[in-house]
Amino acid sequence: MIGRVGASPQRVGGRGRVTGLQHYVADIRLPDILHAKLVTLDCARARIVSIDTSAAERVPGVRLVMTAADLPQPVPRFGPQFQDRPVLAVGETKYHGEPVAAVAADSRDAADEAARLVKVEYEELPAVFTIEGALDPAAPLVQDAALRPGDNLAATNVLREHLVGWGDVEATQADLVIEHTYEFPMVTHFAIEPHAFMAAPDGDGIAVWSSIQHPNWLQKVLADILGLPLAKVRVHAPDPGGAFGGKQHAKYEPLVALMALRADRPVRLVLTLEETFQAARRASAKIRVRTGFHSDGTFAFQDIAADYLIGAYADIADRVVGKGSYPGCGPYRVPAARITARSILSNTTPSTAFRGFGAPQVNWAVESNIDAGALALGIDRLELRLLNLARLGEAFIPFDTPADGHWEQVVRRAAELIGWGTPLPPGRGRGIAVGIKSGPTTGLSYATVRLLADGSVIVFAGTSDMGQGARTILAQIASDELGAPLDWVTVVMGDTAVVPYDQQTSASRSTVLMGNAVLDACRDIQSKVRAMAARLEGIDPSEIAVEHGVVLLPGREVPIVDVLKPGLGPLGGELIGNGEMRKEGDPGHPLGGSVAFFEFNCTAIEAEVDRETGDIVLVRHVTVSDVGKALNPLQVRMQDEGAAVMGLGHTLMEHYIFDGSGRIRNLGAIDYRIPTSMDLPLELLSDMVENEDGPGPYGSKGMSEGALLCVSAAVAGAVHEATGTVIRDLPLTPERVWRSLQEGGNG
Amino acid sequence: MRSFAYSRPATLAQAFKTLESGGSDCRLLAGGTDLIIRLRDGSLQPTIVVDVKRIPELRPVIREEAGRLTIGATTVMSEIAADERVRRHFVALAEAAAVVGAVQIRNRATLGGNICNASPAADTAPALLVYGAQVVAIGSAGSRRIPIRDFFVRSGETTLRRGELVMAIELPLPTQRTGSVHLRRTRRRGHDLASVTLACLVDAAGVTRLAFGSVGPRPVLAVDSSGVLADDAADDDAKGAVLEELFATASPSAGSMRASPEYRRAMLRVLGRRAVGIALDRLAGGGAPG
Repeated sequence: MIGRVGASPQRVGGRGRVTGLQHYVADIRLPDILHAKLVTLDCARARIVSIDTSAAERVPGVRLVMTAADLPQPVPRFGPQFQDRPVLAVGETKYHGEPVAAVAADSRDAADEAARLVKVEYEELPAVFTIEGALDPAAPLVQDAALRPGDNLAATNVLREHLVGWGDVEATQADLVIEHTYEFPMVTHFAIEPHAFMAAPDGDGIAVWSSIQHPNWLQKVLADILGLPLAKVRVHAPDPGGAFGGKQHAKYEPLVALMALRADRPVRLVLTLEETFQAARRASAKIRVRTGFHSDGTFAFQDIAADYLIGAYADIADRVVGKGSYPGCGPYRVPAARITARSILSNTTPSTAFRGFGAPQVNWAVESNIDAGALALGIDRLELRLLNLARLGEAFIPFDTPADGHWEQVVRRAAELIGWGTPLPPGRGRGIAVGIKSGPTTGLSYATVRLLADGSVIVFAGTSDMGQGARTILAQIASDELGAPLDWVTVVMGDTAVVPYDQQTSASRSTVLMGNAVLDACRDIQSKVRAMAARLEGIDPSEIAVEHGVVLLPGREVPIVDVLKPGLGPLGGELIGNGEMRKEGDPGHPLGGSVAFFEFNCTAIEAEVDRETGDIVLVRHVTVSDVGKALNPLQVRMQDEGAAVMGLGHTLMEHYIFDGSGRIRNLGAIDYRIPTSMDLPLELLSDMVENEDGPGPYGSKGMSEGALLCVSAAVAGAVHEATGTVIRDLPLTPERVWRSLQEGGNG
Repeated sequence: MRSFAYSRPATLAQAFKTLESGGSDCRLLAGGTDLIIRLRDGSLQPTIVVDVKRIPELRPVIREEAGRLTIGATTVMSEIAADERVRRHFVALAEAAAVVGAVQIRNRATLGGNICNASPAADTAPALLVYGAQVVAIGSAGSRRIPIRDFFVRSGETTLRRGELVMAIELPLPTQRTGSVHLRRTRRRGHDLASVTLACLVDAAGVTRLAFGSVGPRPVLAVDSSGVLADDAADDDAKGAVLEELFATASPSAGSMRASPEYRRAMLRVLGRRAVGIALDRLAGGGAPG
């Protein structure tokens, strides 16, 4: 069967994923491998006085105990934005879980035992793990000011301040000003596959396996640290088992690579769930919003101040803060806007990219504040949003890509599906919110496609399929363009020695950017088929067209394979196509580049609240996204539903809990609750709007994050209508709802 | 996980021998759903793990004899929840067993393990308390019956003596019509540890038995013999006052991250009132499983 775009064939690799046949990093066995275990301290911040490895080294099977003293000096530091993270803690640990040493042994049990026997003498130091604590003028500095030369904020815990705006907020008159402060919790990705890392000496270079989203970026980090040319660093990136942004950037790959080189043996490190909590998380945030309204419901201004609590090392967190807060005013006409956002360092798990990339935090605040304004003005919450919503082509952010979809269709569809305006049973309420996220601002993807002599196809693409279904989408494009049945298409990914460069798998970009690169490579092959057909038919190429798997000759059309076979001749061979997709940056743009597309979603909720217990039952959850064109409608729905449910996690139950000295109390699954199938809405409706108006193949847009963006505000809006209570702090746990109701609950 | 010796005695005699020689370094393994977690996180580091599942006297059978239902110590939650006799006579226990962990956990977790782990939040404990269960303990000196209300001391500690095992749990079959129910509070609807777990039994004579856990160091039984709770004619204030008194011993920990003491107390009242109502409905309806 041809995997036509627009159809929903069975997922490529899907059976292996659900039957256990797929090999994740932790499933890969290399001979003579050593098992690594990290040595950490049970406190948020400490000065390392001494490390005694002798007892650990005496454990049978232990081959290596690595401390910072065993690393190249000065200890290499790395990071995608700031090179601030050391391979192992140097002199001081800066967050609960930062490794001070690592053990490698013949067995996992021996490594665990030895890791416990590494004696670290340390002195616990005062730590900061809240926004208020980090901003206190007397607060200890999380980062050594020497790491930030020439930075006038270096003597504070503020890493950076971002300011975006237009118009004059101060001078703009408004009939009503609503101001509130909202809080968003610290949450973690909780991918089913834990982070796993493996490295092995490979001739005069190194081979590294990682469940990483950006293998090419990792290759460069390792080449820099190891002093090797890119060609001597081979990164294998087996399809991750969920990543959600948490596996974008290097974590323990440099450590494992240095251990493998020192031991001259392969080394593997598979994190426990508890360790993943200490490896990656989403930034918590506190957002003050001041919204000016005219009495007719139109916006006068938005004034947003967002503080994000990032971790002890920056990872990509500051970019998250800048880019996530940037579309903070939402997809509306706002005459005057001021958005200030600060990334604030703390002695906590380094925060990083996470589905939504900093946008859900501000969205929660701004959409909730809009509800408060609608209520005060006596205007319906849906009507107020439709009134202000940017229409196609409107430059709602004056210096960026104009509105790139018929967003009002999305909002109206969501309203229709939730039954907005129809009578509600007692005890129930509805909420509606819209979310917008800036897509990629730069991009570079290459693809190679080989059309083999029998008409089967191999696609080489550097995208990571972490469950979003990129293999299927890319195979569908090749199948459609080259006429091969879908099961005659192989997609090769995740090996930097084999697959051409791809910048990254993030920002819901791969359908658009890698999709276009694959399409370009297929078109390259089509032009060769066209030349082949012209030669075989003895006619001018201008009389021939090749599209969607067929060759259009004067008066007849034939499958590509019928031209390919005679065209290749008795020696056989193949046709090779190369494709490239580039999204250039713009140094003058606040984000370093205009957005390639916007993700737009509208979520509507009907909820019932038990006033005695605070329980929220989601009776119906509607999510509608503008997807341009669904290349695979089933996968689009799965991504939409997945993002919606993930949004319910931070909305209803997920949050890190710290003790008084900055240790995470709820490490692991028992006391960090994520939604299970029993916590789903009684009815979850996902729908999409398709106008083929996106920049991707066939008019597609990225869409994997949209349905998460505005879940919180929609749920809180429903809870408010059901109970009259207003809560401005997530998650909306039963206890918090109950407490708010006890206290009279109007915030 | 730290290495340990593993022993799987086939007889009680072998088990006693191992327990006597191992002393406090021994840990018993039945379903393992509590033990394995603690072995993995290092909070327990026994030198010997004694697997009791092959001891015939502890085998997973539920039998009715001499006016009581006897549940073998290694009977798992899913068997208890599905057992027709448990559902007919001890519906609160069936309901409690049905919400312990998730399906996989319920297929492993045993009733003996649930009570011997002595978590204040053990879901089967309140049901066993309202039904007046007896714990059949056996040691090298012989067996004895411990009323369940005398069994729990505090988290992880029971009145079992060193070297004793729980062989079975006995439930006296009701001699009059009753209505009973188990209710709990969790942070989500999917499997979770209870922040309040509660069982209620009302009998035809108007006595109400309420037992509750996760609101103090051990599960507690409180009895209203005044008849007020079981009285349809009594007003809400009167019932509320009785509940308040029954729950007076609750002392939820301020250190828990699962729920604050105020919330637990408030939910105890809500669940208590709701449970009495359901139990009365069931009593009126003949005590059939809900």
